Amino acid sequence: MIYAIRTLVGQEKNVARIIGRNVKNSGIEVNSILVPESLRGYILVESTSKIDMQNPAFKVPHMKGAIEGEIPYDEVKNFLNPEPILASVQKGSIVELISGPFKGEKAKVVRIDESKEDVVLELIEAAVPIPVTVKGDQIRLIQKEAD
Amino acid sequence: MVLKACTRCHRLMEEDRCAICNIASSRNWSGFLIVVDPDKSDIAKELNISLPGEYALRVR
Ligand SMILES: [Zn+2]
Repeated sequence: MIYAIRTLVGQEKNVARIIGRNVKNSGIEVNSILVPESLRGYILVESTSKIDMQNPAFKVPHMKGAIEGEIPYDEVKNFLNPEPILASVQKGSIVELISGPFKGEKAKVVRIDESKEDVVLELIEAAVPIPVTVKGDQIRLIQKEAD
Repeated sequence: MVLKACTRCHRLMEEDRCAICNIASSRNWSGFLIVVDPDKSDIAKELNISLPGEYALRVR
């Protein structure tokens, strides 16, 4: 069973570490805590039994609440083997920047440097389309092919 | 403190070399996993992790 916890963005690892410490020898069965890079503001808690997310062990600084219900394991699997993102991105793809100074901006892929794992983008909302080069794991695919 | 990840077992460490795999660790990693109980964790099994600890999901 996988449960999701909301955290302050940027505090995912810290929250995971504190919860990891809290659950140790607490009787709460937590088997792992996952912090996927592409899921900002969330951490995922894995257990083989049903756990009460209202337990004080989960109420740690920068924790913003637990999500009702469970997350299917199949959905979580996608986060486990992050393929080199560039395998699924192509020239013309629309992507979102997930880290760096342009975080949150949407961009169009201009060129891909497969060997160096770099990708050249053009920010969609920029007044002047300046090419920006980022690492492949700094982007999230929104639309594979441009319309 | 700069955390680095083993390029083979993905374990996170401060050392420049993974003590288990005896290969260089990398600063270039992403994703984060705390394995509490590797025997019961489906995620740890999926990733072939058999020791508790902190891991990166992706290392290059
Ligand atoms: Zn190693």
